[in-house]
This record gives sequence, C-alpha cells and structure tokens, in this order.
Amino acid sequence: MSGDDARLVRAAQNGDTLAMNELLDRLTPYVGRICGPIALPNGDDATQEALVAIFRALRTLKEPAALYGWVRRIAVREAIRVAHRDSRSTPAELTEVPAVGDPQLAADIRDVLTRLSPEHRAVLTLRDVEGLDEHAAAELLGIPTGTIKSRLHRARDSFRKAWTS
Amino acid sequence: MTAHWPTADLDEVRRLHVLAAGIPGAHVTERLLDAPFTEVWALLADIEGSFGLIEPDMRHIRVIRTDGERLEARAWSRFGMRARFDGVLRPGWCWLQSRFLLIGAAAAAEPGGGTRVALTGGVRVPGRAAIVPLGVRREAERALDRLAALVAPREDQRER
Repeated sequence: MSGDDARLVRAAQNGDTLAMNELLDRLTPYVGRICGPIALPNGDDATQEALVAIFRALRTLKEPAALYGWVRRIAVREAIRVAHRDSRSTPAELTEVPAVGDPQLAADIRDVLTRLSPEHRAVLTLRDVEGLDEHAAAELLGIPTGTIKSRLHRARDSFRKAWTS
Repeated sequence: MTAHWPTADLDEVRRLHVLAAGIPGAHVTERLLDAPFTEVWALLADIEGSFGLIEPDMRHIRVIRTDGERLEARAWSRFGMRARFDGVLRPGWCWLQSRFLLIGAAAAAEPGGGTRVALTGGVRVPGRAAIVPLGVRREAERALDRLAALVAPREDQRER
C-alpha cells in the first residue's frame, strides 16, 4: 500500500471518477489473482462481482491504508460464493489442502485446485499466493485457527492418496 | 511462485459495469454489433470526429492535450454550453469526466464474433461520482443507434 494508493482512494471517495478508474486499473490484477484460483472457470465472473462489491462499498472504507486487506476479504468472499453458485462444480475429491512444498502443487496446480472445495482453494490461495499465515487466513475466512491448521497440516497423506489413485 | 496459478481478468465491457456500479444513478446499456472490434472502436475513439456524432450531447469536441492514455478536451453541447473534460482513452475504453457530465464507452470483441459495446454516463451531480438518473437509458440507446448506423450496414444486428 503506497501513499499514492491512499491518495487515489481518498480522491475516489470524494467523487473523482478518474481516480476510481485508476484505482480499478490497480485493483483488477490483484482481485484476479485471488478469484482465479478459487472460482476457476468462473474466475472472470467472480472478479467482476468482487470489484462491483468493492466499488459500491468504497465510501465505507474508513482507513485507506487498509485497502488491500479489505479488498482481499471481499474478493475471497465473492469468489467462494460464485464458485458455489456454479452448477457445473463437482464435489471435492480432496478433503485437505496439500502441504507447502508438495511437489504435486508445482506439477499441476490447476488439477489440484479442481479437486478441492472452494473453501479449501481459498485456504491454499491465501497461503501460497497471498503469503498469509494460519492465523490471518483463519481470521479472514471466519473459521478457527485450528481448522486451518488441520486443513493445512493433515493434508499430505490424503492428497497423495487421491493424486495417485 | 504464482506464475502457473490460474488468474482471472476483466474485459473492458465488464470493467465499465464495475465502474458504473460505483456511481449511483449510472446505467450501462449494451449492444452486440456485427462488426469487427477495430471498425467499431475506430468510430468511438475518433473523439473529434465520429464520437461527437454518436454522443448526442456532444456537438463538437476538441482535444486540447494528450499524455499517454490521458486527455483533456473541450466540448460544446447542442445547447451551446461549453465543458472541459479530463479523461482516459485507450483501445476499448473511453472515460470522460467534466464537472457536469460523465461519459463512459467500452468495447470488446465477442468470442462468437462481432463486438460488444457498452455505454454509460449522463448529467453528473456536480463534482460527485453520481448521475442524475433522468433519461440515461434512452440517451444511451440513441447513441448506440447512431453507432450502429455508422458501422458498415448489416442486417443481423442483435440486441442483448
């Protein structure tokens, strides 16, 4: 978050639509990186709906320094919602998120993601794309830290089992 | 480490919906034109020429200054009023703001062929990101009618 971002947020909140336009330029790739892995084929829809929610609520953001955390929270919420809405989504085959450094993650991340529920994809995205620790991810998703830990740490066996079956 | 992770993006028409969502009173009007993007966008991007024919309030527009995507323009409406616009113009995207008017246009090639065009804007609540919601849909429809008439005539124009 730069001072320039804070200036843009203030200007956008004060009604400058060119500042809104520039803010949209900056936020779109960030929101797309979160919504893409969680909503998968509906990533573009999720990105649009997340940004609509963000721009509708922009005036309620009291502290511009909190912009990216606020945006991240909305993007994850909308991506999970859109992913569940998709009637084409298949039941999750994997019940746990693969551990950090699991070679399968590097081999074919999209295949791994399609085997997870949207909530598990969110955990993985927050950890591996956003670099959040367990506490921050749990807080953002509104679930206990212990649940995050179990999703992250008891992963390897079940993941490998599903992968090799 | 995110090089191979799936990402998502917005085309310019979706982008216009997002920006309009942050502007109370704004309405986005869309139409699918059976013409290539380059042809449609050339008409909308010609700010001093065909753009003034498409946007009914803009009788004459002159670009005063450009700096990359940013531009400053002066416009005279059909009622003789003069306005100074600041804006952004790039392929598929035009956003112009004056104290009293907002104008947004977007276009994106449609995967199945043709070009999707979207317009928004209207009389601005002075200095605010809000539009007086009077006649905005009708004016946008008329603008799209004008654009469609300028595009090489085809029989099968479809509306969404």
